[in-house]
Amino acid sequence: MGLVESGKMPKPLTSLLNTSRKYSLWIFQWGLACCAIEMGSALASPRYDVMRLGVIPLPASPRQADLVCISGTVTDKMVPAIRRLYEQMPDPKYVISMGSCANCGGPYWDSYSVTKGVDQVIPVDIYVPGCPPRPEALLEGIVLLQERIGKEDMAARWKGDPLVVS
Amino acid sequence: MSSADTTDTTTATATDEAREEIVAILTEELGEAVVGTHIHPGDDLWVRVTRDTWREAGIVARERLGFRAFEFLSAIDWLPSPFGKNEDSPTDAPPEPKTEIVTGYAGGDTRFQVFARVHSHSRKLGLTLKVDIPDDDLSIVTWLPVYAGVNWHEREVLEMFGITFVGHPYLLNLYLPGEFEGHPLRKDFPLLARHVKPWPGIVDVEPMPSDDGAAESEDVAE
Amino acid sequence: MTAISDRTKLAYANAQAADGRVNLEFETDDGMTLNMGPQHPATHGTLRIVVKLDGEQVVSCEPIMGYMHRGYEKLTEVRTYPQVTTLVNRIDWLGSFANEVPFILAAEKLMDIEAPPRAQWIRTILFELSRIANITLFVGDMALHIGAATAAFYAFRDREFVLNQIEAATGGRFHPNFNRIGGIKDDLPKGWIADTKASLDKIRNFCDEMETLVEGNEIFQARTRGIGVIPADVALAYGLTGANLRASGVDWDLRRDNPVGLAWDQVDWKVWTHPDGDSFSRFWVRLQEIREATKIVDQLLDALPPGPIMAKVPRIIKVPEGEAWVATENPLGEMGYYVVSKGDLGPFRVKIRTASFNNIAVVPWVARGVYLPDVVTILASLYFILGDIDR
Repeated sequence: MGLVESGKMPKPLTSLLNTSRKYSLWIFQWGLACCAIEMGSALASPRYDVMRLGVIPLPASPRQADLVCISGTVTDKMVPAIRRLYEQMPDPKYVISMGSCANCGGPYWDSYSVTKGVDQVIPVDIYVPGCPPRPEALLEGIVLLQERIGKEDMAARWKGDPLVVS
Repeated sequence: MSSADTTDTTTATATDEAREEIVAILTEELGEAVVGTHIHPGDDLWVRVTRDTWREAGIVARERLGFRAFEFLSAIDWLPSPFGKNEDSPTDAPPEPKTEIVTGYAGGDTRFQVFARVHSHSRKLGLTLKVDIPDDDLSIVTWLPVYAGVNWHEREVLEMFGITFVGHPYLLNLYLPGEFEGHPLRKDFPLLARHVKPWPGIVDVEPMPSDDGAAESEDVAE
Repeated sequence: MTAISDRTKLAYANAQAADGRVNLEFETDDGMTLNMGPQHPATHGTLRIVVKLDGEQVVSCEPIMGYMHRGYEKLTEVRTYPQVTTLVNRIDWLGSFANEVPFILAAEKLMDIEAPPRAQWIRTILFELSRIANITLFVGDMALHIGAATAAFYAFRDREFVLNQIEAATGGRFHPNFNRIGGIKDDLPKGWIADTKASLDKIRNFCDEMETLVEGNEIFQARTRGIGVIPADVALAYGLTGANLRASGVDWDLRRDNPVGLAWDQVDWKVWTHPDGDSFSRFWVRLQEIREATKIVDQLLDALPPGPIMAKVPRIIKVPEGEAWVATENPLGEMGYYVVSKGDLGPFRVKIRTASFNNIAVVPWVARGVYLPDVVTILASLYFILGDIDR
């Protein structure tokens, strides 16, 4: 819409659209390693249910996902696949990097085959530390992301400006 | 370099008849090819053979001795690491790197050794077979006709050490991407992240539980 | 022997795929090449399988690994023994406690130290609890891959009780990092025994539920009986271990035949085998093993001996020179560590023999001539963890 690009969206409409976006995230769980099990506990277990936050797991493909949660060690061999799947997601898309391996290489920081952090490949919005982070930690990361989305400036994202978090 | 011919049965009081019988049968079948043995009585058995009898040793182990379960095949690089072990404090002077190659049980003459472990369910024993690989010709015959499961193990040894296996149908990298250069498990392959940012050394030593008297607390389940 | 048939085309495909390239382009005049993975819901992680199909039947299939290769064996060479213990937890990341145990036992063997009995019993209890945690997920996951999603939710829910107990004792839901050379880190907290027995009851309920819900289901049986048969001699030649071997009829369990000082010989339990070698028997054997593990933990909890939990070890541990091999019956199969030590603070070379590496080596042999959905069934029933394969 022309209103979004030019930044002339009225405030109530922006906040309505932001609210609807943050409570209808479809999370693509990219589980690589041990953090995938904790992510599975958060997403699929009845105890740490992520659906109560409005986030639904298990989209059929990355083309239908809003949010990708990269959990686990990223190796150099895996990087082309991550890049490709990130590019398949439609905008607006968000990335959560879960676990210390995805944040910075983690316990394998000196390995010859591990990428030291997934933010070398794709831009990350939220980092969830831990090895592995508890499911509650991932839920807190999602809540923080929702707060961030709520304050987002849609025009900046449309134009490609760097996002400034207030 | 350690000596070539070490037949070392330990001087413990117990003798291990089952394992000595295995050594006897191997020596009977392979003769001069058994160049080193080592027995831990009641525990384990290591046998080193010559390079040209590697496959026959596998066949003897499997057919005659009944070691039908294949555990693994891998290699060891006996060169001490020229980069040290990064265990020292960064403020001290680095220690002198050792350059002498000292091999392990059942001896060895070369820097690289390929070793394999097989198991026998009937005898409830395992056997570790070792073979020397000379530096100028890093290759050995494949064990594929003997144990089918050795396929991927040999591919892994190829990419990690650079030892080729003659007769393997396709030797490709198993783990590493195609453009990877070098053989990581060799001791002279550096871990670059450690050179860019050195490990701060041993900083935390956790106190032993008995030192603090924690075992006497009341919150312990009986 | 291996079913290495015409490999030229597949070798070219593998060379391309091994590069990590996502596209596979080559002429397929006969049949279609399907690329499953590395990101795929059914491959238990980052495993990539290139399947050559003739219609719906598989002509040949080749797993390509390395997407989770973290270089464990190189990393252990620059770490001290306690640091390696921390790292090694993450190989089989579902039953993590079980990964530390053979490594610590190998180091203790080289140092000629034996942990006190209470420590060995607690190690065995936690080992069996991690086995329960691991295999309940397998049971739920295999049902999920066949199509029954409910079982996966049940598995996650009931697994939480066991993870709570592990967390209460060690501080970590998984990756407990609880073993030390000479014993374990801390004693069990108060009230742990009663809580664990309650959670074991819930696990037994879970097993009963799985039997009625999944195992007796005729769709499940139609999809798993007779699929992926592995005869015993092929299993031995490839080095299959654990429940996969027992489901092919080989009566071999390292807990009974090689107890390595842990407390399995002090309790009364049974080894389950199954004569067919198909996917159903692998599922069935593992389900019985969960029940058996609860029985073992019950008996161990009843008779836990008092005493110290740590042997006398020096503060800075330098393991003497030597080589040692210790293997234990981990939840996935037989896991072993070949530790070469030169008297330093850390090992010289550690060869980690993992169960899943050999378990997956049999997939090209087993998946000839099956239909494509059966490949998923076979992978689910062989049960591997990518960290275990790729290390």
